Amino acid sequence: MTVVLSYSEDRGLALELSKGASLLAATSGATASAVVVDGLGETAPGGHVLVLKSERPLAGDYELIAGALAAAAKAKNSSIILIGATKQGRQVAAKLSVMAGMGVLSDVRSLRMDGGRLTGVRGVYAGRFNATVTTDLPCIALVPAGCYQAETGAPPEVEELAVGNLPSRVRHLETRPRSKGAVDLKTAEIIVAAGRGFKKKEDLALAEALVKALGGALGSSRPLSSDLGWLSEEHHIGLTGIYVRPRLYVAVGISGQLQHVAGIKDSKVIVAINKDKQAPIFQVADYGIVGDLYQVIPALVAALAA
Amino acid sequence: MNIVVCVKHAVDESELRADPAGKPQLQGAQSKMSAFDRNAVEEAVRIKEKKTGTVTVISIGSGDWKKSLKEALAMGSDKAVAVNSGQSLDALGTSYYLSRAIRRAGPVDLVIFSEGASDTYHGLVGPMTAEWLELPFLGYARKLDVGDGSVRCELALEEQEEVAEATLPAVVSVVSEINEPRYPTLLQIMQASKKPMEEVALDSLKDERVPPVRVTVTDVQAQALSRKRVVFEGSPEESSKKLVDALRRDGTI
Repeated sequence: MTVVLSYSEDRGLALELSKGASLLAATSGATASAVVVDGLGETAPGGHVLVLKSERPLAGDYELIAGALAAAAKAKNSSIILIGATKQGRQVAAKLSVMAGMGVLSDVRSLRMDGGRLTGVRGVYAGRFNATVTTDLPCIALVPAGCYQAETGAPPEVEELAVGNLPSRVRHLETRPRSKGAVDLKTAEIIVAAGRGFKKKEDLALAEALVKALGGALGSSRPLSSDLGWLSEEHHIGLTGIYVRPRLYVAVGISGQLQHVAGIKDSKVIVAINKDKQAPIFQVADYGIVGDLYQVIPALVAALAA
Repeated sequence: MNIVVCVKHAVDESELRADPAGKPQLQGAQSKMSAFDRNAVEEAVRIKEKKTGTVTVISIGSGDWKKSLKEALAMGSDKAVAVNSGQSLDALGTSYYLSRAIRRAGPVDLVIFSEGASDTYHGLVGPMTAEWLELPFLGYARKLDVGDGSVRCELALEEQEEVAEATLPAVVSVVSEINEPRYPTLLQIMQASKKPMEEVALDSLKDERVPPVRVTVTDVQAQALSRKRVVFEGSPEESSKKLVDALRRDGTI
C-alpha cells in the first residue's frame, strides 16, 4: 500500500492539502497521511497524522524539513507528496526532488491520476495560458491555496516518526514577522488596489476613502510597494507578490501589466478605473470607468453612500 | 571572488499571442532575458565592482538564447557559457546540467539566481542546482552581504523576514526589489561582443547522475477570458452611479 503525504508550514494550507491527499489517495488505492514537524500544534489535520521528530527543531529550515520528508517518504513508501506552494515549500520540494529523484509539478490545480501518472494544470506566461503537466510516480506536487476545502474536526490518529539528526548548511540568525499592519489581502472579500495613476503618496488617502466606503482592504501594484516605497510589500499583488481571490477587486490607476493581472485572475468581479481607455486592465475587467481617478473616486464614494 | 549567474532566455510573455485554436504561437515569438534575471546579473556585477573578481554568466537554451548572455556581458559580466540544450528539460534536468556547467567553469564562490523565471515562475531551478552541487541555498534575498568566506542575506518570506548566513561557496536567489538593473551603454554593448563566450553541448556535461525527464507538458491552452468588459460612459458621477447599480444588482456589494 502506498501513501499520499501532505505538508505545509502554513497551517491553513496544511488543512487544505490534507483534504487533497485524501481525495488523491481514494482514486489511487493509497492511504493519506498529513505530515507535521516537531509536534502536533494547535490545528492538526484530522485523519492519519505523521509527526516527524528530530534531535533539534525542524520548522523554519527547508533543508531539515526536506530531509525529514525524504525519511518519511522512504519509511511510508509514498507515491505522492503534496507540499504547499509557499516560498519555503518550493525550496523543500526542490531539495527533496534532487535527493529522491522525484519529478515536481509546481503550482498545480485540478490534480488527478491519469494512467498511473499524476497530472495537473498550472498557469504559464504570467497566467495567460494554462499548461497541463504530468509526471511519473513517486513524485512531488506544489499546490497553492484554494484548491481544496479545508477539513477540520475529525480527531487525528497520531503516529510519531523519529528522523534522526539531519544536516543543514544554513545558519538562521534572526527572524522577525513582517510588519503586517491591518492588511490581510489573502482573506479580504473586497480589495481596492492602487497603481501608478496616483501622483503622490499623500493621494493614497483617496484610495483609503474608497476602501472605507466599500469595507475592504488596500493593495497595490508593484511600483507602489517596491520602487516608490509608498506602501509596504505586504500590499503588493501580482506574480511576485500576493495572489488574491476577493469577491470584488477594484484596480485604480493600474494599467494592468501581465505580472499584476496574474495575481488577480481568481477575483470574482474585477472593476477598473483608469484614464487611459487603451489600458490593458479593461480587457480583464468586468466593469470599467474611463476617467481621472481624482474625479472618479470622490464620485464613487458619494454614489456608494447614496 | 568568482561569481556565477544563471539566466534564462524566455519567451516575452507580453508579446505572446494565441492562435485560433488557443495554442501559444511560439514560432517567431520574441524571447529575451527573463526579467527577474536582470536583477541577478546586476547583483553579481555590483559585488564584483566592490570586491574584484569575475562574473561568469551561464544559460541553457537554444535558438537565439545567446542574446541574453550578450546582454549580461554588456551589463558587466566577464565571460559567458552557452549550453546548447537541443532538447526539452524539466526543472530537475535543467538544474542538473547547470550544476555540471558551474563545476566545469572552475572554482566558484557564489552562484546567483533570480527568484523564478518570467515565463514559468517555478522557482525550483535555483534550490535544485544548490542541491546537485551540495552547497547551501539562501532563497529570496532582498539584501546580500558577502563577507570573508561567508554570505549573509535578508530573506523576504511570506510571513516573516529572516537573516540567514552560509559559508561560501553558496547559492542564493534574489528578489527583484534588491536592486535596479542598469541599462548598458552603446559602448558596453559593443565591447560585450569581444568578451569570451563559450558554447558547450549538453551531452558533454553528462555524468552517471543524469536524471531522466520526469515532468512533461502535454498541452498549453490560452485561458478563457470570461469577463464582462462593460465600460461605463458619462461624467464621473453618472458612470459611478451606473457602476454601483451594477455591483448591487449582481449582489457583489
